[in-house]
Amino acid sequence: MLRSPLVLVVALVTVWFIATFLIFPSATLLIGTFFPDGQLSFRAFEKLTSSERAMNSLWHSFLLAGTLAVTVNVVGIFIVLVTDYFAIRGARILWLGYATTLIYGGIVLAAGYNFIYGRYGFVTNAVGNWFPDIDRDWFSGYFAVVVVMTLATTTNHMLFLGSSLAKIDYQTIEAARNMGAGTVRILWRIVLPALRPMIFAVTVLTFLTGLGALTAPIVLGGTDFQTIAPMILTFSKSSSSQDLAALLAIILGLATIVLLAMMNRAEKSGVYFSVAKVATPLQKQKIPNRVTNGVVHVLAYALFVVYATPVLLIVLFSFVDSTAILRGMITWDALTFENYATVFGTPSVLRPFVVSVIYSALASAIVVVGMLFVARVLQKYRNPVTGLLEYLLHIPWILPTILIALALVMTFDRPQALVGGQVLTGTTSLLLVAYIVVKIPFTLRLLKAAFASVPESLEDAARILGAGSMFTLRKVLFPLVIPTAAAITALNFNSLLDDYDAAVFLYHPLFQPLGIAIKASTEGENNLDSMSITFVYTVLLMIIMSLAMYLVYGRSGAASRRARRRKPRLIP
Amino acid sequence: MHKRTVTASSIAFVLLSTVALTSCSAATDIAASGDASGTLIVYTNSNSDGRGEWITEQAAAAGLDIEIVGLGGADLANRIVAEKNNPVGDVVFGLNNMFFETLKAEDAVSAYTPAWSDEVDSTAGDTEDGAFWPLVEQAIVMVYDTNTVNAADVPTEIADLWDGDQHTGNYEVNTALGQATPQLMLASLLAPYADEDGDLGISDEGWDQVQGYFGHGSPAVEGTDLYARLIRGEVDFGVIPSSGITSRDAEYGTVTGVISPQDGVPYVTEQIAVIHGTPRQDRAEEFIDWFGSSDVQGQFAAKFAAYPVNEKARVQALPAVVELIESLPKQDIDWALTREHIGEWIEKTELGYLP
Amino acid sequence: MIRFDHIEVRFGEHTAIPELNLEVKQGEFFTLLGPSGCGKTTALRTLAGFIEPTKGEIYIDGQAATKRPSEKRSVGMVFQNYALFPSMSVWENIAFGLKVRKTKKMQTGALVAEIAGQVELTSEQLGKNVSELSGGQQQRVAIARALVLKPRILLLDEPLSNLDAKLRVQLRAQLKNLQRELGITTVYVTHDQEEALTMSDRIAVFNHGVVEQVGTPEEIYNHSSTEFVCTFVGAINKLSDELVQRLQRGGGTALHPNKASYLRLEKVSLQPPANAGGSIRLEGIVAERSYHGAHSTYTIDCSGSMIRALVPESGAAPLTPGSRAELHIAPSSILQY
Repeated sequence: MLRSPLVLVVALVTVWFIATFLIFPSATLLIGTFFPDGQLSFRAFEKLTSSERAMNSLWHSFLLAGTLAVTVNVVGIFIVLVTDYFAIRGARILWLGYATTLIYGGIVLAAGYNFIYGRYGFVTNAVGNWFPDIDRDWFSGYFAVVVVMTLATTTNHMLFLGSSLAKIDYQTIEAARNMGAGTVRILWRIVLPALRPMIFAVTVLTFLTGLGALTAPIVLGGTDFQTIAPMILTFSKSSSSQDLAALLAIILGLATIVLLAMMNRAEKSGVYFSVAKVATPLQKQKIPNRVTNGVVHVLAYALFVVYATPVLLIVLFSFVDSTAILRGMITWDALTFENYATVFGTPSVLRPFVVSVIYSALASAIVVVGMLFVARVLQKYRNPVTGLLEYLLHIPWILPTILIALALVMTFDRPQALVGGQVLTGTTSLLLVAYIVVKIPFTLRLLKAAFASVPESLEDAARILGAGSMFTLRKVLFPLVIPTAAAITALNFNSLLDDYDAAVFLYHPLFQPLGIAIKASTEGENNLDSMSITFVYTVLLMIIMSLAMYLVYGRSGAASRRARRRKPRLIP
Repeated sequence: MHKRTVTASSIAFVLLSTVALTSCSAATDIAASGDASGTLIVYTNSNSDGRGEWITEQAAAAGLDIEIVGLGGADLANRIVAEKNNPVGDVVFGLNNMFFETLKAEDAVSAYTPAWSDEVDSTAGDTEDGAFWPLVEQAIVMVYDTNTVNAADVPTEIADLWDGDQHTGNYEVNTALGQATPQLMLASLLAPYADEDGDLGISDEGWDQVQGYFGHGSPAVEGTDLYARLIRGEVDFGVIPSSGITSRDAEYGTVTGVISPQDGVPYVTEQIAVIHGTPRQDRAEEFIDWFGSSDVQGQFAAKFAAYPVNEKARVQALPAVVELIESLPKQDIDWALTREHIGEWIEKTELGYLP
Repeated sequence: MIRFDHIEVRFGEHTAIPELNLEVKQGEFFTLLGPSGCGKTTALRTLAGFIEPTKGEIYIDGQAATKRPSEKRSVGMVFQNYALFPSMSVWENIAFGLKVRKTKKMQTGALVAEIAGQVELTSEQLGKNVSELSGGQQQRVAIARALVLKPRILLLDEPLSNLDAKLRVQLRAQLKNLQRELGITTVYVTHDQEEALTMSDRIAVFNHGVVEQVGTPEEIYNHSSTEFVCTFVGAINKLSDELVQRLQRGGGTALHPNKASYLRLEKVSLQPPANAGGSIRLEGIVAERSYHGAHSTYTIDCSGSMIRALVPESGAAPLTPGSRAELHIAPSSILQY
């Protein structure tokens, strides 16, 4: 295994990176927090277990994660099926509606839903006009959080499950139909099992998102359903409570790792990829039963409306003065360009955009390229060493971004031999390092799943034709995982674009990233238009993110879709 | 074919960005530590509402080349502490005395006596060591809209809000204890109950107050301003820093009333100091001398409705601001005790008392 | 040309091949035949260099090749699922190995065109995406891709198993012709004994990782050296002990009464043979007849023992079920183990 120069280089770089940027900083931080005087302190554990609120919040986080693992799969698979599997009229339009979660999230998304269904939301208002007795707080608590987060986190399904679905060998479906299997049976016995590795991968991600839920519970959870993430955030920022934050984060992290291990095991035990020669492209399936077909259409479009409205509202709200929004009364005279004027009136407003675009592009490109090699080596050579490396690469999932950033600042504020005796704190590179670090687990998981779906014989074929491992990677394997890699790049790019947690400790004063700029422009005791300004920035971000999706994903997606249409079935 | 253009454009993009960032790092080297030249980096949490731009402009006019780095109070303090072995910033101002006490305890700021030291009340800053100096004062107040709340219904003491069920759910409590204002509110609640024998230096009675305050309040809604909740009748009372009142009254058409308890309201003083270990010590001191001078502070106060500590500057402050501040007695808070325990207080509150 | 010398292959606890000794001659069409899981594909993959044997040595052209990476063994391989690169066109698939070797463009074009001609791929097909081709066409692409580098050895791993019956028979002949034309040493893996018999120069029959017999198709078929070989290759009658005893009494004195005895279907004659000297006559009743066109298979009830006989159709009136039949069996054609 170490004979291959490629593997050797990848192994060396990976080990160095893990040691330098994952283990060393985290160890520095964790030892500092859990061994304050050189002795293990159980203080954090005792504090947490004796706090009813902490235990409740922790339980809520797990409850949410567990619920989402189910609901997101249901909605996500439904979305993928109606856009890519079943013949549904206007599937392209539906796709665009469902894809809105690709370009916004966080507080804006939660606020968007709150403006529609919340206590003062217009749906609640409208219903309230007819039925004055309704509970105006109907959209809050566990229910509301689950609904909003379910809708908000189907992104991964859309991108990754969609591309896995496209890889299913259509002949298997034809064969099943031939043997008399109905739509449901084919779905259940043929299509879904073939999607299993990717379903596993996105389920881990969904679970993780649920555990880390921050804004949706804050905005919609009410007093009954608060999760642990806000508490972690508060404790991370207070030096005397960082041990609590770390402990809570580790509990969440370990839960994720356990789930990951289970999924890894499940992944190993099955053969998923098609054993067909070359898979026949998927054809859209008609739903034979007219009633079912009607119901599916109605559901698909209802979901479309639910997805699309908050985005439209946010665009609308970016043109409305904030008092009107907060009062919940929007009239024609409330429409204004004032918010945009404020944002663009700020001196050097474009600079943070440029800084963030560069940082995000670099980080997402580096992490994807790096993980392409790592995922490949991990997937090819399964042994205890690579297994350990794989788990170590998930460290960034155990610690919240804010603690990772803190750990990096504190570790690299003096010359470190591991980075050639450089001081990284205060340089532009440390934020880039942090961005790369936080994106590693997500990227690795999905790329590994992508590699797993490539039949091994392709590699053998390339090898026997004389292709070196690098050539094989470049010419044979990469083209097959490129759609996934591109989607990951775009997602990473989009999620880093408005990052605040890492940047707050790491950004170089002369290169202010967008997240900081947005926060700065919305803060201030006299800044009453903060929500509107957030909306303006969100709209601008949506434009950049859509562009990114279009550049690296949409076009190639469209191309393959075109290709699929161009190619009628020639096989006799 | 399509794939090729995608790859080509992505590669071009990455190359371009690499070039851009390389030039960034080139610039970094100049600004990085150990170099006495280069732009003076000013850390502050008080750059919003156009303050940052105004200060940069005025400083440039005075011949000072500065770069403002703005972050929220708690984040900024954490960042300065994290960076203390290799400071990036040169000067910090705007954080309240509580945060500055932390910075001082962590050796993150160094003492310097500004040229204007005799124009300010030295007790408002770091009386003992002169590690930081006061600029602006403000009060943290419980407000209501006199248009909607009858004067008769307004309690005289804040504690009346949770004494009995009359006001339950009727006042906003900010539960984001990572932020400065909720922290000050907590300090204010606990200050009268300092007790060496109590938990974390506070008697049980004090903790009962915290429990009452959070237990009966309506948690703040992320993204919704207190005044928006006041005018739609969601809550009647809420806490904000005094400097935010004027603009809100103008925006929402409210007429703000302030509860003025007998013991006074918590005052916080925004401070300024040199960051310990800066290579640009001289220019940092120069900036402090300039920014804290009565002239600049006066203009600042007039422009941003602040209440300066500099007595000479106070004449230029807005009359309404002066009137409000001077009508509110100052609560006596033991800042040393607060600084020592605030982290633990937050922790205890977060774990035990938040709704 | 190729020699497996005391090859052992183990996957963890599982031993796929306990010990393998084989020799393939220059220009030979050599088949590894056996049921699935018998180790034939493992042997092939070991030869290709995908699996490193735990013991033993592989010699190619008299040189130890066990440590040699697969691309240096001058082997071309056609995979069961063809392993065509879906991201490339047919042309790119075939030219892949040339590209790796940095062959000049002109030369690449010529070589691809040449091999495409040999496997009967049209220039229009060369421009297509592999997924646009039919199974048979894909198989040609896979062969062309393996042969374009002019390897000294061609490995074929069940290359016909994904095709329909008619195409399979047709391609069998084409593949054999191609091999003969090129004179390339070929190792062919299959579980289909008919394929093995029709195409091979020599066959190695695998069972549980062990080679049971190596020989020409005729040797394998007519002189199966083990019970497994004779039952696996071709249809055969298993004779009951009682029948063997009857044959023994009828003159087959060389027969052992307690051994497993087998008789090929076509060795059972329903007509007295020209020189009846060596054969024994039995009587029975026709139980069933199945017609195959050129010949028929009769199942005859010989006092309780069923015997099948393969009889060429000469145009004479067939025996109907229930009618009496006489069987002529030469004891020398009975295989005993």
